[in-house]
Amino acid sequence: MPSSPSTSLSSKSEALFRRVERILPTVTKPGRYVGGELNQVVKPWESVQTHVALVFPDIYDLGQSNLGIALLYDILNAQEGVAAERAFSPWLDMETALRENDIPLYSLENKRALADFDILGISLPYETLYTNFLTILNLAHLPLRSADRDDSHPLIVAGGQSVFNPEPVAPFVDAFVIGEGEEAILDVVQAHQAWRQSGGSREALLAALAAIPGVYVPSLYEVAYQADGTVASVTPSHPNAALPVQKRITAKLPPPLTHFLVPNVEVVQERVSVEIMRGCTRGCRFCHAGMVNRPIRERPLDEILATLKAGLDQTGYEEVSLLSLSSSDYSQIIPLINGLRDLLQERQVNITLPSLRIESFTEDLMDELQSLSPGGGFTLAPEAGTERLRAVINKPISDEEFMATVRSVYQHGWNSIKLYFMIGHPQETLEDVAAIAELCKAVLNEGRRIVGGRARVHAGISTFIPKPHTPFQWVGFDSLESIQQKLDILHQGLHGAKVKMTWNNPESSLLESWLARGDRRLSDVILRAWQKGARFDAWSDQFNLSHWQDAFAEVGLDPDFYSHRARGLDEMLPWDHIQAGVKKSFLKTDYLWSLQGKIRSDCRGRCYSCGILSAYNELRLVAPDGGWKCP
Amino acid sequence: MTSQEEQITRIRVTYAKGPSLRFIGHLDLQRLWERLLRRSGLPIRYSQGFNPRARLNLASALPLGVVSEAELLDFWLDEAVPVGAVAKTLSQNSLPGLEIKAVQSVSLREKALQEQMAASDYEIQFYDPQPQAELAEKVAALLAAKELPRVRRKKSYDLRPLILDVEVFIRGDGELGLRMRLNAAPSATGRPDEVLEALGFSNTEYLACRTGLILEGESAPLPS
Repeated sequence: MPSSPSTSLSSKSEALFRRVERILPTVTKPGRYVGGELNQVVKPWESVQTHVALVFPDIYDLGQSNLGIALLYDILNAQEGVAAERAFSPWLDMETALRENDIPLYSLENKRALADFDILGISLPYETLYTNFLTILNLAHLPLRSADRDDSHPLIVAGGQSVFNPEPVAPFVDAFVIGEGEEAILDVVQAHQAWRQSGGSREALLAALAAIPGVYVPSLYEVAYQADGTVASVTPSHPNAALPVQKRITAKLPPPLTHFLVPNVEVVQERVSVEIMRGCTRGCRFCHAGMVNRPIRERPLDEILATLKAGLDQTGYEEVSLLSLSSSDYSQIIPLINGLRDLLQERQVNITLPSLRIESFTEDLMDELQSLSPGGGFTLAPEAGTERLRAVINKPISDEEFMATVRSVYQHGWNSIKLYFMIGHPQETLEDVAAIAELCKAVLNEGRRIVGGRARVHAGISTFIPKPHTPFQWVGFDSLESIQQKLDILHQGLHGAKVKMTWNNPESSLLESWLARGDRRLSDVILRAWQKGARFDAWSDQFNLSHWQDAFAEVGLDPDFYSHRARGLDEMLPWDHIQAGVKKSFLKTDYLWSLQGKIRSDCRGRCYSCGILSAYNELRLVAPDGGWKCP
Repeated sequence: MTSQEEQITRIRVTYAKGPSLRFIGHLDLQRLWERLLRRSGLPIRYSQGFNPRARLNLASALPLGVVSEAELLDFWLDEAVPVGAVAKTLSQNSLPGLEIKAVQSVSLREKALQEQMAASDYEIQFYDPQPQAELAEKVAALLAAKELPRVRRKKSYDLRPLILDVEVFIRGDGELGLRMRLNAAPSATGRPDEVLEALGFSNTEYLACRTGLILEGESAPLPS
């Protein structure tokens, strides 16, 4: 252990925090950096064998709202001999203050330097956190590259939705957990403990980790490239290194949170959240979450309601939220809403129910939703303006069906509808884009007919980004000129209409398109951009494209190769050695179907053999009551 | 008055805000109190309207970074509950760093707590030891000043009349500290950081603790 017997550990953290307390009055929102919340778990440092710091590489306000971190915190702290603590990105003023005073980044619980931990668990749910991840390592006074770290450094483990393509950050990470971390994290801790006892080398630890299902140790794989820059081969260099690495899933949804931490400073989501369902059977071709989170597993109704009640009791929150990719597909949705209504009457709380699908609306459901008397707007996501393009992206809703839903929403007492669309879809024409504006206006007209002048429509426009492990993983990202032209069409089309339109910065989408389908060489670009000052790339007011363009130029890689280039169907993709459950051959067929506008229906009714059942059937058999909705 | 209205009770809580909460601001604290009250399960009186909120009244905003041994808060109950039971459930549902010190029932007719505020007492602990003569001299000069013109949020004001008293004292650990009483009337509130700045100290050099709130009509000597 990197501690000398002469210094008591608790005095070590006190000394650190005494220095921190002196800088806190000089930074904005210092309450982000002190911990001390209700239901925080502080285990005496010496009382546990393994110390894990869970790190979300954005500020506290966002990270503390992340349910994934909260679940892992709960799971690890339930273990004897293990302590999980938290750390988040400091905002820029705090980063400067820490550097100027030579204070390392520390955990909120025991106020220990991150370098004192055994394991840092880094959450990477989206790609634009990569530079913040490097800031974290740097502020923790750790070498950025795995190859430069040794036995005296913590093990850096990363997980989350974006690491289904781990390659762009592979050189910085010792081990990735691919897929669901709730069980795998315990295996990682156990392997670490066994390694500590055996006193082996760091190489021995990495080899032991590689043997855990779902764990990918990138240093145990050699990547070779073709002359054209595409991947030639990925070769394991150790017998424990699996090829492919199959994602980890849990047979049934892991238990919900038992301890709800209540932040002292305001965070983005202050409510009791419970995941009601994981996975989605709809098969939208652009949707990363829908492809990589299969199979679909539902949480039993009574467990959902009990969790919400316990959460409200523990927190005193005024709001509850149900999380899933498609809430209206939950098979017990009507009984669930009835249960929520009782809760609402009993406790005076608000309810948010995101991700309702147009296809699964029924009049019954609308009646029930109305009875919750939710305030605010109603959100629908047709994603494309024409029936033709909706068939291409496999979100098959007819215009008629869509307008019927809109009518029903206004008739059931809502005045405001928010519509989500994407531009830049494969095979999109300018007519498809113009149709978005027409659809918005048609919705507003329908609203005015039903509720009069109170009717509101808000169009949220984002840019399609091809993601790995989806049927669109081969297509090129739209050019910035084309995206701008499409935005102009929408502005013109909605000019004078009382439709509020918001849109993503196309340059931010461009960055995401580089990072999402990058290979291992892209890590040099990330490092270079970070060195140039790239921070908080997910924040539109902080993002600076020129850092990235300069970094590409200096490293000598072509940005278009990663973004706009269409991949060949036979090309070896940088993430092919990561198996997300849905087979590449299935994705390929689905992509070919998209070229014909051929629809693949919701697979709850019939199985299309995407690969999940063949890969995980044994798991399904051990948990027959696991709520799988595969036929 | 209906029988239901007769049941309405106004509860005054004295509480401490400890070091772990010193960087939690006034608005955040107010939300923490709302949640504490919801967790307590007491029959809290809510405001009317579309978004009902617990009706509560904090006496005086505590500057960020300052701890306190004696904050005051009023809230209302729809039905009478023995104060002992209120104190118990508040303590059980409190959060780390917020300690319930006293609970009493007060007259519904009292003015809002903020309007009753007269003065606040503070104790200052310096992170680094201070030489006695120099500190005493600075304090004497401050008190001798006829006026102390300063600017707060782009507005000029005179700090001097907001300072009721300042004295040097020897703390339990043998180091020198400061005690001060500052005006806290609704329109004329002195802040300890402004006094310390006038004495030449930046806010990274000390820990301030509010030791008492003095309501109008109360008279209390500066504790010694």
